[in-house]
Amino acid sequence: MNQFEDKPPIGPIEQGDLPLVKAPDSIWKSIEATLEAKPEPRRTGVFRWQWAAASLAVVGVIFWIATRPSAPAWRVSILEGSPSVDKIKVGEWLQTDASSRARITVADIGTVDVEPNTRVRLVASSPTEHRLTLARGEISATVSAPPRLFLVDTPASTAVDLGCAYKIKTDESGDGVLRVTSGWVSLEWKGHESLVPAGADCRTRSKTGPGTPYFADASQPLQDALSAFDSGGSAANVLQGILREARVRDTLTLWHLLSRVDPVDRVRVFERMTELVPLPAGVSREKALRLDPAALKSWREELAWKW
Amino acid sequence: MVVSDPETIEIIEACRRGDREAFRALYQAHKDKVYSITLYFFHGDIAEASDATQQVFLKLITNIGSFRGEAEFSTWLHRLVVNTCLDGSRKNKSRERPADPAELMRIADPASHDEDLTRQQVAGRVQAALSSLPPKLRMPILLRYFEELSYAEMAQALRCSAGTVASRLNQGHKLLAQKLEKLRR
Repeated sequence: MNQFEDKPPIGPIEQGDLPLVKAPDSIWKSIEATLEAKPEPRRTGVFRWQWAAASLAVVGVIFWIATRPSAPAWRVSILEGSPSVDKIKVGEWLQTDASSRARITVADIGTVDVEPNTRVRLVASSPTEHRLTLARGEISATVSAPPRLFLVDTPASTAVDLGCAYKIKTDESGDGVLRVTSGWVSLEWKGHESLVPAGADCRTRSKTGPGTPYFADASQPLQDALSAFDSGGSAANVLQGILREARVRDTLTLWHLLSRVDPVDRVRVFERMTELVPLPAGVSREKALRLDPAALKSWREELAWKW
Repeated sequence: MVVSDPETIEIIEACRRGDREAFRALYQAHKDKVYSITLYFFHGDIAEASDATQQVFLKLITNIGSFRGEAEFSTWLHRLVVNTCLDGSRKNKSRERPADPAELMRIADPASHDEDLTRQQVAGRVQAALSSLPPKLRMPILLRYFEELSYAEMAQALRCSAGTVASRLNQGHKLLAQKLEKLRR
């Protein structure tokens, strides 16, 4: 039997030291109220309707590619603009214009709000994968599902949901940005990966894919230097600027840089990281500089508590 | 919180069909443990714990259709609890502080207020010692205490290796013992 199948010792706490506390009744009442709350009906006066209708096909399914007549469909509700579609099937596109917004219910795992001037396509919907393509524009996804079940492809990355809420926008070339508001998202592209936690952003670029993640409250000089680095800036002062500005929380950025700089600069990044946060037990300098995957993973797991 | 009996599996199936009464039964079965973990995690802050518990069950109820099998359900529920607590902790970093033992004595169910004062004081000390631990050490201890999870199950909930769980628990228990010793003096 694997030793990790065992239950650990309970430690110095004895049974009864931490009493089980009864959850207040108000919690269930609040849950029920939330579940029963219906979306506020939108005001649809005649003038407003005519105006909306005049912007014909503001939201529309462009074409149907599904190979099976019974292809799964996701419900679409209109948040603003013309209500011309109520669902989207595998293979179909949904497009909003400058004055339209729509909400897609992603199977039974969450919602995607489609912002104006956005074009998305439902690529797959199955128990093992729900997948959208974001060709351009912006979406906000709120997903509560097992990790890696919901994916969004953009021209320069694939956003892999790890249980989270996030916004992602892109132009047709792939330049864009991801902002995570809850949980984690993995941005993946051609073997390149950026792990982005709540409160952090990550830019994407055509040809180079996901950039280096950074917290939205990082200093402007750090963000500027990182932007230069991600754009291919290799001047010594670019990395120096990042290292100088980094706080404990910015070890998120530095951890990603470890594998993105040359061996000489890796030492500088490593030393700045260990200045900010002591190296945890089980992670050695040698393994970290060698980019040993297990050591880097273990280090990230420890650092994540500071993020 | 481990889902193993056929009755609970049946409840989950009913929940997946949208049966509100089944949702209520599921909530009733797990609410006190989830609430207790969040309450002790958030230093006895009732508002924070209530909000976190509500979030956990709303996410669970809204997305129960995506659960496949009992193991996935229990893993999912533990993850929801961990993620919700850690998200809350990150958002309110400035409020991360150890609580006062006297304040924590009031966490217990009102029914226990009539119990022996000495026992309440012991409970207050344990809670204060736990509250002073960093979140990464506090959460595994709470999962072990209330959910009786194995190393492997905790590793899934915390998204780290079982070895890391063992190391954190070991470190947490040592610190807890030291702090309890100080509080007893």
